[in-house]
Amino acid sequence: MKIEFLPHTADVEMRVEGSSMEELFVAAIRGMAQVLREGGCSIRDTYPITLRIEIQAPDLTCLLIDTLSDILALSFINKAVFCEAHFTELTQNHLAAGISGYEVDGFDEEIKAVTYHGADVIQSAGSSWETRVIFDI
Amino acid sequence: MKKVLKSHLIALSDYFWEVPVSFREDMRVPARVLASEPLLDAILEDRSLNQLVNVACLPGILKAALVMPDVHEGYGFPIGGVAATAYPGGVISPGGIGYDINCGVRLLMSDKDLEDIRDKLEALSREFYACIPSGMGRGGMLRLSEDEMDKVLQEGAGWAVSRGYGSEEDLPFIESLGRLPDADPSKVSEFAKKRGADQLGTIGSGNHFVEIDYVDQIYDKEIAGAFGLRKNQVVVLIHTGSRGLGHQVATDYIRIMMAAMPKYHISVPDRELACLPFDSQEGQDYYKAMCAAANYAWCNREIISWEARKAWETCLGPDAGSLSLLYDVAHNIAKIETHHISGRPEKVIVHRKGATRAFAPGDLALPDSFSGTGQPVLIPGSMGTASYVLAGTEAGHELTFASCCHGAGRRLSRTAAKRQVNAPLLKQQLRDRGIFIEAGSFKGIAEEAPLAYKDIDQVVETVSNSGIAVKVARLRPVAVIKG
Repeated sequence: MKIEFLPHTADVEMRVEGSSMEELFVAAIRGMAQVLREGGCSIRDTYPITLRIEIQAPDLTCLLIDTLSDILALSFINKAVFCEAHFTELTQNHLAAGISGYEVDGFDEEIKAVTYHGADVIQSAGSSWETRVIFDI
Repeated sequence: MKKVLKSHLIALSDYFWEVPVSFREDMRVPARVLASEPLLDAILEDRSLNQLVNVACLPGILKAALVMPDVHEGYGFPIGGVAATAYPGGVISPGGIGYDINCGVRLLMSDKDLEDIRDKLEALSREFYACIPSGMGRGGMLRLSEDEMDKVLQEGAGWAVSRGYGSEEDLPFIESLGRLPDADPSKVSEFAKKRGADQLGTIGSGNHFVEIDYVDQIYDKEIAGAFGLRKNQVVVLIHTGSRGLGHQVATDYIRIMMAAMPKYHISVPDRELACLPFDSQEGQDYYKAMCAAANYAWCNREIISWEARKAWETCLGPDAGSLSLLYDVAHNIAKIETHHISGRPEKVIVHRKGATRAFAPGDLALPDSFSGTGQPVLIPGSMGTASYVLAGTEAGHELTFASCCHGAGRRLSRTAAKRQVNAPLLKQQLRDRGIFIEAGSFKGIAEEAPLAYKDIDQVVETVSNSGIAVKVARLRPVAVIKG
């Protein structure tokens, strides 16, 4: 999986890539964790907080953005960042998963929202999955 | 999609430029830019005018889609955008209001001059930082029960006053008296309420702040006098919004509207422009939730004022005097207002995303004390630079749906700002200029450095020269409290 951050005038833009849809979703979740908390998921080996999420969306791009939006809300409500997802179902428009993460004493960036702007989940010729995601800061 | 170039624009006057409807076949109205020519050249560098053209295609849009001179690229709508749609059948778009519903500004006026408090500025800035929670996801002193949250969402700033966290005298000087009566807490999700449960009385991060300023220059003595402003007077400027609650309301309803648009045969070129007829069930649900989030924001700024007053009194003791409210304005909101369309007054839904309401003298929505002056319009600058107080005009009513700019407008990315700015050095340089900065992190200081923003003086000159607002006073910061 690959996570890179790109320059953006007002906000934070990331490009994520995965060898499968599942890996793309986990890359995006981990990328968001990195924005919320410096070090993100690399500073922990264990993720004691586990929650279940289920999301229905009109297409795969919306499904990814809506998943990140729900995880963002859960991050602020639980004062936690999330790093892993164990999918019981992941299709083009439905996701059911257990997500796990760890509690934090504060955030390094306050993401207002995960936007749909410029997001487009595609499968490249090399069959990896990728998209850009812009966070409104 | 073809980019808007200068050659596509028609100059309507020295400060008004138009992308005509012939630019793209799906445009329903022209797209107009309020800018001096140098600012226009800067605006053309990003995609904000293409976003404005998209706005000009929305169902039910009236007269023209507009941007203010502090415009920059946003999501769906550009930041600094104004759009009026037909009431009640035109669309309402959460993207036309933004994620931070009722982000806004208020100005408190002291009876002190700068010289009276100069030797206490460092202590004041520390006390403000201690009393007003700021920073990422940081909670405040209140934790609302579900019942109390619903009351906040219904009562707005009045809730703070009724609980002893505000002043009754403030209420007439808040846009819409600090409460939109169409708010319905049942339209606000549990996620949103949980995100907002402990955030009342907090500033948050990003470009939000509390500043202690002084009046550095008066441009219009008569209006300044009516507002209660005088040269060298110390004032407190507060800039924040509806925090996580408002962000979640916007997120929830963009999702709901995207799913519902096919039912109403609406398609948009950018998902962030998701919109529905105002009088549809989903449109009404969003409007009522947006009103609730706006009420939360007014309550938030009222409580922050209470915290600021407490810090002021703690530091200055029995001679502190009062901090009275000049005005509180929203710059991310949708309002039902009456404007002239084809020469006739009509009720319309005005979307302001990064634009300030600027009502003219005589408007019945204003308190009596502003009936001869027009509404105070508060334009915050970037950290360490000037802010401005302006007043609304009749010309603004005609040209921009009574709207004005909302700030300087960002020009550099956060990453670029962090790369170019040595934050500890900047903090010291500002200190050497007599400005105390209290911030949660050096990162926050670097990201909000003055060089990351357009020149506020040019932006304000443009709105003033165009006639949509009158310059009243300039403020200079002496202490800045940031997340």
